[in-house]
Amino acid sequence: MVEAIEDLGRIVREANIRARKSSISRRKTRDPSRPAAKWVASAPIGKTTGTALSLVLSTHGCSHALSDAGGCTMCSYLLDGTSGEVSADNLLSQFDNGMEGLAGEPAPLSVKIYTSGSFLDESEVPLDARNSILDRLGGDERVREVVLESRPEYVTDSALESIAQRLQDRHTEIGMGLESSNDFVRRMCINKGFRTEDFTSAVNRALEHDIGTRAYVLVKPPFMTERAALEDAVQTISDAVDMKVTTVSVNPVNIQRYTLVEHLWRRGEYRPPWLWTLIEVLRRSRKNLPSSVRILCDPVAGGKSRGTHNCGECDLALVEAIRGYSLTQNIERLQVEECDCLPLWKHTLAHEGPSMFVHEDIARGLLGNA
Amino acid sequence: MLMIERGHCGPARVGYVEWHGKKISLPTLLQLDEESDSPGGYSILDIWDGRSHDTSVHPLSEGIFTEIVTPPNTDLYLLPSLPGASALREETGHAILRRQLELLRENESDLNPKRAVVRIPNRVSLEDLSKALSSFKSLGVRAASLTLDGTFGPSDMNAIRLRRALPLNWTYLALGRIEPSHIPLLYYLGFDILDTGLSYRAAATDVRLWRDGIENVTEKHISPRYCTCDSCKGANLAEMPKSARYDIIAGHNHATYRAVLSEARHAMETGHLRALVEAMTHRSPALASALRRIDADLYEFLEAFTPTAGDQVLPLIGPESYNAPAVRRFRERLVDRYVPPPRKKLVLVLPCSARKPYSESRSHHLFDRAISSAVGGARREVSEAILTSPLGVIPRELERIFPIANYDIPVTGDWDAEELRLAAGALVEHLSKFPEDAVVVAHVSGGYRQVMSEAEDRIVQTLIYTDSAESATSRDALSSLESTLTDMRDVVPLKSGPQVAREETLRATADFQFGRGTGQLLIPEGANLRGKLFHLVVCELEGVQLCSFVGKNGLLSLTLEGGEILQKTGRYWVRFDGRRIRGGSLFAVGISDADPFIRPGDEVVVVNGDEEVVGVGKSEMSGREMCAFDNGRAISLRHTRE
Ligand code: SF4
Ligand SMILES: [Zn+2]
Ligand SMILES: [Zn+2]
Repeated sequence: MVEAIEDLGRIVREANIRARKSSISRRKTRDPSRPAAKWVASAPIGKTTGTALSLVLSTHGCSHALSDAGGCTMCSYLLDGTSGEVSADNLLSQFDNGMEGLAGEPAPLSVKIYTSGSFLDESEVPLDARNSILDRLGGDERVREVVLESRPEYVTDSALESIAQRLQDRHTEIGMGLESSNDFVRRMCINKGFRTEDFTSAVNRALEHDIGTRAYVLVKPPFMTERAALEDAVQTISDAVDMKVTTVSVNPVNIQRYTLVEHLWRRGEYRPPWLWTLIEVLRRSRKNLPSSVRILCDPVAGGKSRGTHNCGECDLALVEAIRGYSLTQNIERLQVEECDCLPLWKHTLAHEGPSMFVHEDIARGLLGNA
Repeated sequence: MLMIERGHCGPARVGYVEWHGKKISLPTLLQLDEESDSPGGYSILDIWDGRSHDTSVHPLSEGIFTEIVTPPNTDLYLLPSLPGASALREETGHAILRRQLELLRENESDLNPKRAVVRIPNRVSLEDLSKALSSFKSLGVRAASLTLDGTFGPSDMNAIRLRRALPLNWTYLALGRIEPSHIPLLYYLGFDILDTGLSYRAAATDVRLWRDGIENVTEKHISPRYCTCDSCKGANLAEMPKSARYDIIAGHNHATYRAVLSEARHAMETGHLRALVEAMTHRSPALASALRRIDADLYEFLEAFTPTAGDQVLPLIGPESYNAPAVRRFRERLVDRYVPPPRKKLVLVLPCSARKPYSESRSHHLFDRAISSAVGGARREVSEAILTSPLGVIPRELERIFPIANYDIPVTGDWDAEELRLAAGALVEHLSKFPEDAVVVAHVSGGYRQVMSEAEDRIVQTLIYTDSAESATSRDALSSLESTLTDMRDVVPLKSGPQVAREETLRATADFQFGRGTGQLLIPEGANLRGKLFHLVVCELEGVQLCSFVGKNGLLSLTLEGGEILQKTGRYWVRFDGRRIRGGSLFAVGISDADPFIRPGDEVVVVNGDEEVVGVGKSEMSGREMCAFDNGRAISLRHTRE
C-alpha cells in the first residue's frame, strides 16, 4: 500500500491540476512584440539611489506550470503568458520596448527581467534572444545592476558563463524561488518540483562565476497554520543565508486566479498571511542574520483581501513600514503602533495548531451565524 | 479509560476518564494556552473553580505537512491533520487517518497510543472511518476529536454525522469555534470535552459571550449588560484600556462556558438535556436547522440512548420537539406495537388535556361522566383515543406511560401544518387497526377537528361528529357526547359485560414495553389481577406473580417468573458472565452480551450462560453500551435468583 503521506501528496497535486485546469485556455493572445508589463521606479543601487526598470517579458510561460507536474499551488503566472508563438525577435522587441522606459535616465540603472517562468529556460526564452538581451545590457554602461529570474535547474555552468561574460562587472543576481527550505513543505504544499539540494547547487554554481543569487521565500504556503508558516519562513530565510545567497526576497502568498490556493481560499480553508506575521518574519530574520544580506519585501496586494492583510485599519501603515524597511534595511522601520487586531493575530497563532480550525477573516463574522 | 455514571439523555455522558494517571471529570472544557510560545496547546479546565488542571492536550505538530515536534511533555497529544483538508476530495479524509496510524506505528516507542487523540477529518466515508478506527482501537487509542467551524454548515454537519459511527467507550473532543450556546447540543451528541478557544477570539474584538448570545461592550449608545461573574465584577468595560478589558472579557467568556456546561450537565442528570437543547435552538436559525437535520439524520443514534422511562416533565414547546427521539419513537412504537383489544366496536376520539395524566384532568372527568352515563357497562366495547400534538394518538390504556404522563405542551388550540400532518397520520394508522364496521365518534373542537378533517378521507369506518365544534367541554357539547353515545349504544349495538379495563391496560402496556404479543404472554387468559387500575395492579397466574403494573410510571415490572416468559420472546435480554448475581446492581463489566434494542429505562431480564434467568431489573444504559463498556452501572436489579 502507498504510504499515506504520498497519497496526500498525490491528492494535493491532483487538486492543484484541477484548480488550474481552465487557466491555460483562459490565456490571452498578446501582442508578442510588447512586454506583459513594465514599470520604472527609483531604487537603491549599490550605495546610491538610481532608477530601476522592472520588465515582465511575455513568453509562453513556465515549463513547470505547462508540464504534467501542474505548476506551483499559489502561482498563476501562466495566465500572464501568451498562448501565441513568441519568437526570439519578438522577445528582443519586447526588451527594446521596455528599455525605452529608461531612455535619458542617468546612471546608475537597475534592470530586472522577469518572465512568467524562467529567463534561463531555453524553451521559454530562446538562446539567441537571451544572449542578445544580455549583450544589449552589457553594452549599456549606465546599467549597474541586473536581476534575472529562473528555476535552479536552468542555472547551468554554460548559462552562468555566458551571463558573466556578457554582463562583466555588473552586479548580477539570479532570483530563484526557494519558497521553503523544507523539502517536505516545498513538495507537498507548493509542488515546486525541485529539491533543496538543487537550489543549493545552483547557488554554488553562481558563486563560482561570481554571480549573485536571490532567494524568494514564500510566506504561508497552503495547508499550513499561520504559526507553522511563520516558523517555516524564518527558518527558510536563515537557511538561505547559510547557503550564501546574496539577497532574500520575502513573498507573502497572494491569492492568484485559478490556483489551488484560490480554491482553498474560496472555501474558507485558507487565509493569506497576516501582515503581523510578515513583520514578525522580517524582524526575527533581521535580528539573527548578518547585515550584509539584504532582506527585501514588497508585499503584493498588501492590505487587500487577496493579499497579506490585517484588519483593514492598520494595513496601510504596516505595508508602508515593510516597504520602508525593504528600501533601507533599517529594522527600526518595522516598529509600528499596536493595533486592536494584534490579539486576534496572536490568538490565531495559538489556536490554529491545536484546533486545526482554519481561522479565516474576521470579516466573515465572529460568530458564524451572526 | 472512560467510566460513565448513571444518567442518560441522548448520547451525552457523565463520568470520568483516566489519562496518564490523572482522573478527569467529564464533561469538561479545554482552555487554550494563549500565552505559551510555539507550539500552542490546551489544558483541561476545572469547570468548578475555573483553574486549569495540570492536564495538557497538545498537538504533535501544526499539521501533517509540518515537522513532528519530538513527543512533547503532554498528557494527551493530538495527532496531526491537514489544515484546509475539507476543501479537498473525500479520499483526503482516509489518507489523513492512515497517516495518523502510520505515525503511531512508526513511533511506537515514543508515542503511547493510550494518550493519542485521533483527529477525525470532517469529510470521510463511514466505511473508511470505521476501518481506520478499528485499527486505532487495536493499538489502544481511546480518544478522538472533531473540528467544527461553528456555522453548522455542510462541513460541521458532515463531522457531526460521523459521531454516530464512533466507538462508545472513547472520549470525544470538539475543537474549533464553539460558542457557549452550542454546548448543550454538542454535549447532547456525545462530545465530552469542548474547546473554549473562542473566548479569546471574542475578547480580541471586545465581545462578551453569553449563554444566549453575544455583546460588543464597546458599541456606542448601548449600555453594557450587567454581569455578576468574578471577572466583570461591575467593571466599566467601555472606559478602560483595551488590554485590561481583554483579560476581563476573556475571563468572563470562560465563565460563560463553565456556566453553560454545568447547566448542560445538570440538565442531563435531571433528564432535561434534550429540552435545553431545544430551548437553545432559539438562539439562532443555524442551531435550529442543525437540530432539525440532526433529528432526521441521526435519529437511530440519538434514539438508542434516549430513556424509555422517567418522571421528569417533558416540555414540548415547538417544532424542534416534533421529531425529538422520545416523541418520534413513541409515534413509531404505537404503530408497531399497539394492538387494540378485541371486541372494540366504537372508537371515541377525544382531545388531550393540559393536565397529565389525562384522566385526572377536569375535561376528562367530564368526558368520563358522559361516557359512563351513556354506555354504562357496555364501555368495554368502547376504545378511547386521545389526540395530541406532537405525539399523535394515545389509546387510553397507555396514558400513564412515558412520555405520555410527562409531556407538557402549550395548549392554544392552533395547530401548525406539521402538527396536523403528524396527528392525522397517526390517527389514520391507529384507526386502521380497528374493524371496518366499528364506528368512530369524534368529540373534538378547534385544531383537533382540523386533524379529523385532514384524516377523514383516509378513515374507513363510519365517522360521526358530536356537536362539539366550539368546545368539547361546554355543557352542550357534553350532552351531545352523551346523546350520541346513547344512540350508538343501540345502533352499533354495544353490549354490557364485566369490566376489562385492567387487563386491557396491562396487556397494552406489555405490548408497548416489550413488543407485540407480549401482553398475551405476561397477562394470559385466566390470570388473576388484583389492585386498582392506575395504582398498583398485580398479575398472578396460578398463585405465581408474573408482573405488576405501576400506575406511577405506567410500566410493568417483572418478577423472575415474568422474566422467564420475556426470555422466550428473545427480546430485552442481557447475558451475565457469572452464574448468580449478588447485590442490587449489575455492572457492564459483568455483561458479555445484550440485546441491542435495550434502551436506558427498559425492564430487562438477565440470563446466565446456562440460559437461566438470574435477575430482572431496570436498565441504566443501552444494550450497545453494556457490551462496549467495562464499567458503569448497567442494570438496577429488582429481583435476583438466590
Ligand atoms: S512559481 Fe515559478 S516555478 Fe512555480 S509555477 Fe510559478 S513561475 Fe513556475
Ligand atoms: Zn489592525
Ligand atoms: Zn462577566
